[in-house]
Amino acid sequence: MNHTGQKTMAANDRRHWAYWVAGAAGMVLASAWWMNWWGIVASGCGLLTWLALGCRGRPAVPPSTVAEPVDLSDDEPREPDAGDVESLVDGMLRQDRYALLLRRQVVGNLSPEQFAQARDVLEEQMALVPEGQVTLSRSASERMDRDDAAEEQRFVQPLFLDRYPVTNAQYQRFVKAGGYQQMPLWDPQIWPAVLDFVDASGNPGPRFWKHGKFAKGEANHPVVGVSWYEAAAYARWVGKRLPSEAEWVKAGSWPVPLSEEQQWQRKFPWGDTMDRQRCNLWGSGPGHAVAVTEFAAGVSVGGVYQLIGNVWEWTSGTFGVVTADGDELSLPVPMKSIRGGAFDTYFENQATCQFESGENPLARKHNIGFRCALGMCDVAPHPGAPDEPALAEAEGVLA
Amino acid sequence: MIKEGVQPLDSLRLVANYAAQAPCYICAADNTYDAELCRQCFAPMALAHQAASQKIRPRLLATIGASGAGKTVYLGMLMDMLSRQPDRLQMLARGAFSITLQQSTASALSRGEFPSKTPSEPDRWNWVHCQIRATSLKSPLDLVMPDLAGEALLEEVDHPYTYDVIHPLLSKCAGVLILIDAVKLQSGSLDQDYFTMKLLSYLAEIDERPRHGWARRPIGFVLTKADECEECFIDPAAFAEARAPGFWRQCRERFRNYRFFASGVAGGCAYRQSRAGLVRVPLRVEPRGIVEPFEWLVQQVKH
Repeated sequence: MNHTGQKTMAANDRRHWAYWVAGAAGMVLASAWWMNWWGIVASGCGLLTWLALGCRGRPAVPPSTVAEPVDLSDDEPREPDAGDVESLVDGMLRQDRYALLLRRQVVGNLSPEQFAQARDVLEEQMALVPEGQVTLSRSASERMDRDDAAEEQRFVQPLFLDRYPVTNAQYQRFVKAGGYQQMPLWDPQIWPAVLDFVDASGNPGPRFWKHGKFAKGEANHPVVGVSWYEAAAYARWVGKRLPSEAEWVKAGSWPVPLSEEQQWQRKFPWGDTMDRQRCNLWGSGPGHAVAVTEFAAGVSVGGVYQLIGNVWEWTSGTFGVVTADGDELSLPVPMKSIRGGAFDTYFENQATCQFESGENPLARKHNIGFRCALGMCDVAPHPGAPDEPALAEAEGVLA
Repeated sequence: MIKEGVQPLDSLRLVANYAAQAPCYICAADNTYDAELCRQCFAPMALAHQAASQKIRPRLLATIGASGAGKTVYLGMLMDMLSRQPDRLQMLARGAFSITLQQSTASALSRGEFPSKTPSEPDRWNWVHCQIRATSLKSPLDLVMPDLAGEALLEEVDHPYTYDVIHPLLSKCAGVLILIDAVKLQSGSLDQDYFTMKLLSYLAEIDERPRHGWARRPIGFVLTKADECEECFIDPAAFAEARAPGFWRQCRERFRNYRFFASGVAGGCAYRQSRAGLVRVPLRVEPRGIVEPFEWLVQQVKH
């Protein structure tokens, strides 16, 4: 390597370190989030510092499926102004971060109108899944519709689940807000890999984007090409989390208790019979992912769209299916659970509410997206009356 | 005393049929009219009977490759996809025997298993006789495609004429798809490279005619299991060039009409413990790149 090359590499290394330090510093300040709004200011400072350094991430081999990007910069909300609560609230609502506003620890800062506005957005974008028992199949036998499938009963606390999978437009707000540089959003063990989560042009973002932007006409398509860690980081940024397997299955199969021991669960969100006109699977027509609002006929009882088909969805669970003989499958790498099937899922018995598949959490595939969940216990009932346990928790956080 | 007379023959037609031998469609060996399989090469005689009764000469296409490359899964999945979703190509099976392969493949995959290994004995191979219709075809195209065993191919390539069916089949084939295990190539194993070189050499020597020999017949190279090495889908030819330089060079120097493809059937795989050791099982089925190689081959052989 010549001298110029060495100098360039050293400069790049310095840039990377500077970027890490700036991002981390911003996020340390952001830890004061619950006390006041300095976290926003700090996040913005970290982001601006990073941008000023000109750090654009590592280049990547572009996949063949990358389409021309679309620039939504004029349409996208700006970073909220921390000095003005009203503007801050508006900005966070535009970024779909209403779940943070509705936290018991934060909601006291909102006016009744702002609270009502945030609550309206929550109810518009998320569906309520009531508490109750749900049966999960833990056996590969389920795939064969056999009766000897190993079953497991789980109790699910009430929660809100996104009505639609997270879209490209929603995810772009996360990317533009510097989500890939806010290290507290990411699991510590994955920090070394975050630099590798780049798009086709080497910028932070989903694998099939280019220059930090998604393809034209796909704003309302589910975001794909994101690893499990990217999905989890986005969920944290909007104040939510990935749904557990039991929560996901409960939202889709909508169990109805018949007795204390028995319950009836749907095989598909719309009933027990496959209908390829209600979901985007292989043979349904499109042959590719479609907008999250399509296939509305496949909506669940609770009002959740596209649980089956279009794209697989990451859940927080770990994949570990057992065979009909009770032996666990041996996995090449530890996998996270994905559910629901995708536009290229061939067999209908692999696109049921119960069917579970697995994928390497670092995989960034063309047919895996996600949606977020929010525990009902994490949502304040109304601004003026946080309950006692929540107050105690908030005091603990502040202390 | 012998009484003379005419003894009526109830089975005159039977005798007549036995007298007229039916030639095998693959090896042209004479067979009795009621033989199910050719006595010499074990190809189904139904192919010959259908060709005679329908007055058509189906084109022969072969799917070849090393053992475990995924020939059965590819062919079975292709047949099932074309018969279930006739978008670009429509496939109509000719004869019930032609559906066995897609039935066994789809059945195994939907159970979360790969189909069993194709046995080496030719009398146990599945053959497909089908009619292909497409908007790009002026008239329907009749095709015959066998599911050959990888071990038999290897044996035949190393020791020609071990199997009576392979040499005449590949001599008459209008084109072939050569399946190569992309995962093994990616892992650095050269076995796939060597075996494909042997296959290409075997093909080139079967028919060396400059205008009609294998040098000008279409060959599709399909990198299978590409779902486990996604860079394959980006540029299959570059992937092959980088990881299998032997057959890449041989291909460029000896053949004129070839193309590289990548395909995958399983979206992810795991392993299940069985008596025979760890068995690879699909976690889900998401066919990708299955129809494209076949569609290209059909376009090449339609004239």
